[in-house]
Amino acid sequence: MLKGVFRVGGLLLIPLLGSCGTRDWQLSEARKNVVMIEVTAQTWDYRLPWNPGTVSSARGAGFVIDGNRILTNAHVVSGARYLTVQREADPRKYPAKVLHVAHDCDLALVQVEDTDFLKGTSVLPIGEIPELESVVSVYGFPIGGDRLSVTRGVVSRIDYNSYTHSGRESHLAIQIDAAINPGNSGGPVMQADKVVGVAFQGFRGDVAQNVGYMIPTPVIRRFLKDVEDGHYDHYVDLAIRWMPLENPAMRHYYQRPNDGQGVVVTDIFSEGSADGVLQKGDVLLSIDGHPIESDGSVRLDGQPVQLEEIVERKFAGDTVELGVWRNQALEKRKITLRPAEMFSMYENLYEEPPRYVLYGGLVFQPLTANLMAVLAGSADLRLRQTYTLFGQDQIYRETPEPVILASVLPDRSNVYLVGLAGQVVREINGRRIRTLADVLPALESGGERTVIRFEGDQRPAVLKKGEVDQVMPRIMTQYGITQAHRTELGGRRLAKGSWKKEEESK
Amino acid sequence: MKGVWVWILAGVSLVSVAVGEDDSRGSLVRVRASIQAYDQFRPWQKKSPYGLNGTGVVLPGGKVLATAALVANRTEVGLEKPGSAEKCAAEVEAIDYEANLALLQPTDRNFLKGFSGVLLGPALRAGDKTEVWQLERNGEMLRNQAEILSAGVGRYPSDEAGFLVYGVRVSLPKRDDSYTLPLMKDGQLAGMMMGYDRDSQEGTAIPVPMIEHFLKDAADGKYEGFPTLGVSWSPLRDPNLREEVLAPKSGGGLLLTRVNPRGTAGRAGLREGDVLLSVDGYKLDEDGNYRDPLYGPTAVGNLIRTKPTIGSPARFRISRNGKEMELTGTYDRKARDEVAIPTLQFDTAPRYLVAGGLVFQELTGTYLQEWGDKWSERAPQRLVELFTFQHEKRPDPSRKVVFLSQVLPSPITLGYLQLSGLVLEKVNGRTIANLNELAQVVDETKSGDLVFEFRDEPGKLVLQAQDLPSVSEKIRNDYGLPALRRL
Repeated sequence: MLKGVFRVGGLLLIPLLGSCGTRDWQLSEARKNVVMIEVTAQTWDYRLPWNPGTVSSARGAGFVIDGNRILTNAHVVSGARYLTVQREADPRKYPAKVLHVAHDCDLALVQVEDTDFLKGTSVLPIGEIPELESVVSVYGFPIGGDRLSVTRGVVSRIDYNSYTHSGRESHLAIQIDAAINPGNSGGPVMQADKVVGVAFQGFRGDVAQNVGYMIPTPVIRRFLKDVEDGHYDHYVDLAIRWMPLENPAMRHYYQRPNDGQGVVVTDIFSEGSADGVLQKGDVLLSIDGHPIESDGSVRLDGQPVQLEEIVERKFAGDTVELGVWRNQALEKRKITLRPAEMFSMYENLYEEPPRYVLYGGLVFQPLTANLMAVLAGSADLRLRQTYTLFGQDQIYRETPEPVILASVLPDRSNVYLVGLAGQVVREINGRRIRTLADVLPALESGGERTVIRFEGDQRPAVLKKGEVDQVMPRIMTQYGITQAHRTELGGRRLAKGSWKKEEESK
Repeated sequence: MKGVWVWILAGVSLVSVAVGEDDSRGSLVRVRASIQAYDQFRPWQKKSPYGLNGTGVVLPGGKVLATAALVANRTEVGLEKPGSAEKCAAEVEAIDYEANLALLQPTDRNFLKGFSGVLLGPALRAGDKTEVWQLERNGEMLRNQAEILSAGVGRYPSDEAGFLVYGVRVSLPKRDDSYTLPLMKDGQLAGMMMGYDRDSQEGTAIPVPMIEHFLKDAADGKYEGFPTLGVSWSPLRDPNLREEVLAPKSGGGLLLTRVNPRGTAGRAGLREGDVLLSVDGYKLDEDGNYRDPLYGPTAVGNLIRTKPTIGSPARFRISRNGKEMELTGTYDRKARDEVAIPTLQFDTAPRYLVAGGLVFQELTGTYLQEWGDKWSERAPQRLVELFTFQHEKRPDPSRKVVFLSQVLPSPITLGYLQLSGLVLEKVNGRTIANLNELAQVVDETKSGDLVFEFRDEPGKLVLQAQDLPSVSEKIRNDYGLPALRRL
């Protein structure tokens, strides 16, 4: 079925609001351009990182936009190995390929090479943020049948919400009360004759009724603009934390009058956009000329939104200008925006194959959201805290990518080491391990014995080099492993870190 | 560090024998405890009271032995003679929450006159037949056949390191006063039952060697507790690891992976990375066992905790970088007692300070436990980190963890309401090492800003000192707090 494509668990048959509408021009225009996307996808198994993973099929929706492209959700096409699209008016299934995937905002572009597919389609225009209480129609292929389904509801709420596909991002999302069910993902939400959103997530089970979410058009437009250069960059981030400046004593301390404006900067993340520009205790009074209220909101098109919304609409390399109150003076500070790459550990990974190093039955893996998901039940407190405090404590400055002894494949050569699975690796042969890339060179260094030390008061793991070389072929055969390691990072970037690199090379 | 263990007894008697008059008379007494624990989340008040009923063992001389869990967080303890409703209040003379033992003294010294009392019996081994005694409502004795399944080091409800414990198989019928029951052998005390699982019909008992140590310690009226080494260790079976740490080729010894410099071992000069070969002449094997004359191979913890007493000399043989040496020291329990964040906090009122709506507390294991079984996931992660890894993160025992536990809304806490679980570092630039220091700075600052600096987000909170007296008084009235501080 629809694995993970829509985050609704129970098969709830909620009575649909309203009827399917009359066959007016607008409806048929939408119908002409909505496609069913059938995907065969492969998901990596982080328990067995060398395996190609499980193959599963899923169904979602999408719609034709300009440039012979189909817009859908990233989670519909994640890990796709084969996908076809099909329109209501054309029974043929056309093979398609993924052009771009943006996991952080859950959008993707798909293209069909066969030009026959475009016959009878037009381009669905993209509109603006719909008014609260206004009626919208949702198109898709949800459970309950195989043909196109239309549901209708009103715009309930416009607010920031987490985008569960990436696991870490929050962007503007619009809540609607039209029935949205698994299979609606990627389908257009229409108003008048324009697309006002892409249906993408809801609540699992019966925690809420008639609550569905769509990706609003500012996010869609940003994505389409970002890929214009043929490449998707990540969202950018100020990488600061701030606190509302509502308390009178606090305002007095920062020497601000009680005018209800400004927030105070409480943390600046190393390597983030604001690193070196802002300081703790700065009071932010404006962003790109928009005054910042003391609760952190700014007015955009008359609507109150969080100040981050200004940054949300920008791209890597763009600048943002902040009005900063520091040392009782107002300064203008320009910040060049970049993605917060140091937190990429918290993002669910889809295309990137799991990375690992196998050494005599010991499997080293970098700490990622995906690894944590499979270890969660058995993870000890130190591992869990390394994960949860990695960002908050800026552990990445010392260790951009903590390496975990994720598992020990039992073999007669490592019977005493099995209990060490799940430990956080600190050093190998005296060399500090800061990323997975450090593991292989460290294993090759040192003398006849390899000594692996862990965080905390755990005993070290000691292996004999000669013995490991001997048993590796046996272990790889026994466990069906064809490749002893996979360490290349692909497109993702890690934190640079800020330890003294000269000392390391000694 | 599990809290109080609760008996769940129900079902029918299978192998119980009710006996008439015999040596069992004059040996047991009912113990009625009224329990009321402090509310860690509302430190100014206590939680609902409840009663616990157990069975105490009368010792020669008229004192009564019970488990510590039975009288933890007590408001009142009473004794009641079996077969009559004659009652007498009792004082707790000595209590050890780690060993789960308590010694009670009736306030009326003549109350147990005529009770012959029970002598301590021999230590038991696996396979020994024994009995668990229960009192019938009419005061008659119910003797349940039992068998010792195991004798080894295991976890006690409130202990981290492990003590000797008996595994007992017994079928116990549901009776009153079963929160604590004696394990008997030939009319003598063999142990105190401290846990029982009705489904598997297996339970645990505190063995006599522990009770002996406890009573010996309590005899002088000054209770000191069980010694600890203050180390973490790992088995040393892996031949590769033995080679790496240059452990003796002849075998034996365990690897010290952490040594508390204040503990018995640390002060005797033992260090992380040493291989501990023997303690007080007892050789240790690769799994950390010594050969006990009675129990056979037993974890070294039992040797440390039951053989010596506080202040007695300690003798260690170690191998350091392949060189063997002898080190000597004195047994103590500083590694357990002198810590920044205490684990055991029964009977102790939580310390707190309310300043203009900000509620500060000193971190204890008991506070974290208040978050429930999954406290390590549910409690604020910074507090969990400091507690769990305190030997790394907060090694200085004099530096307590003062934290903002909650904010009571008041006119001056606008914008601070959602905050909780924040570790306080400084106030007005002064480092705060305990709640008294915080109270002092707050009291001394009569006007101007009070700037609270926290370890984490949002970093700083500010109050105006001159607002505090009136606002604090208003909070005391509005929320009905009995006091604004307990230091």
